[in-house]
Amino acid sequence: MGDFSDIIPKVIDATKEIFTGMVMMDVDQEGEPSNELGVIKDSITGMVGLAGTHKGMLAVHFPNELALAITTSFLGMDVNEINEDVQDAVGEIANMLGGNVKTLLTDRGYDIQLSLPSTISGEEYTFLADSDLQQIVIPFTAPAGNFYVELELEP
Amino acid sequence: MAKNVLLVDDSSTMRKIVTRSLRQAGLDFGDIFEAGDGLEALEVLEKEAVDIVLSDINMPNMNGIEFLREKSGRDGIKDIPVFMISTETGDDIIGEAKSLGAVGALKKPFTPDKVNEVLGPFM
Repeated sequence: MGDFSDIIPKVIDATKEIFTGMVMMDVDQEGEPSNELGVIKDSITGMVGLAGTHKGMLAVHFPNELALAITTSFLGMDVNEINEDVQDAVGEIANMLGGNVKTLLTDRGYDIQLSLPSTISGEEYTFLADSDLQQIVIPFTAPAGNFYVELELEP
Repeated sequence: MAKNVLLVDDSSTMRKIVTRSLRQAGLDFGDIFEAGDGLEALEVLEKEAVDIVLSDINMPNMNGIEFLREKSGRDGIKDIPVFMISTETGDDIIGEAKSLGAVGALKKPFTPDKVNEVLGPFM
């Protein structure tokens, strides 16, 4: 699992804290973390890049239905299609998680800078890690579907 | 007297969430102005009567640190208190923000109770 597997519990806690505190939605971690993610379907992905002493990326992959539920809860208004509000909400979740990961890595002596968040979405796409990066994919469950938090990091 | 607030964040979603949290915190806020980056924030500060600024750090065009640096050199707005709202709350970045005049920091994610705790003394 790589030498940063010890931060997985903290990433899980940070994810739950963000959902409970700001999305107003309870989520659970369910299933074993892995180091691969298959084809992603009908989903939206938010990500922030990590640069500095160690390059990498933090991504969150949400099925569209869950992304709509998250944005609806986030904003307190009905959202029925993948639009700029959904992209913004998903990007902000990635940004908050990225900030937490940056703090965790800073505590380990890494010097990390975060990129601005970005999103991609589509009917079917694949997310491939650079071969020189370690990859951890953490599965979560939420009321409107399952989602994944993915961390790629240079050893 | 109600305090007018300026929210500076490139995420419109985040600005809506912070606005909601401010209202839920039970503090006496007046007008809530918004800006998408540091440049827009400086324009708002020059035109509107703002009492408190809540600013993100990681933003395009002019980030929160550059905003603090620019604001600190402008008479008339340099003394308006700024709180940083960011996922980045490491000692280095917050230390730099405070050295440029920021009076406090609120870490994302946060709750209305946390908003009350951090901003309450300044209301």
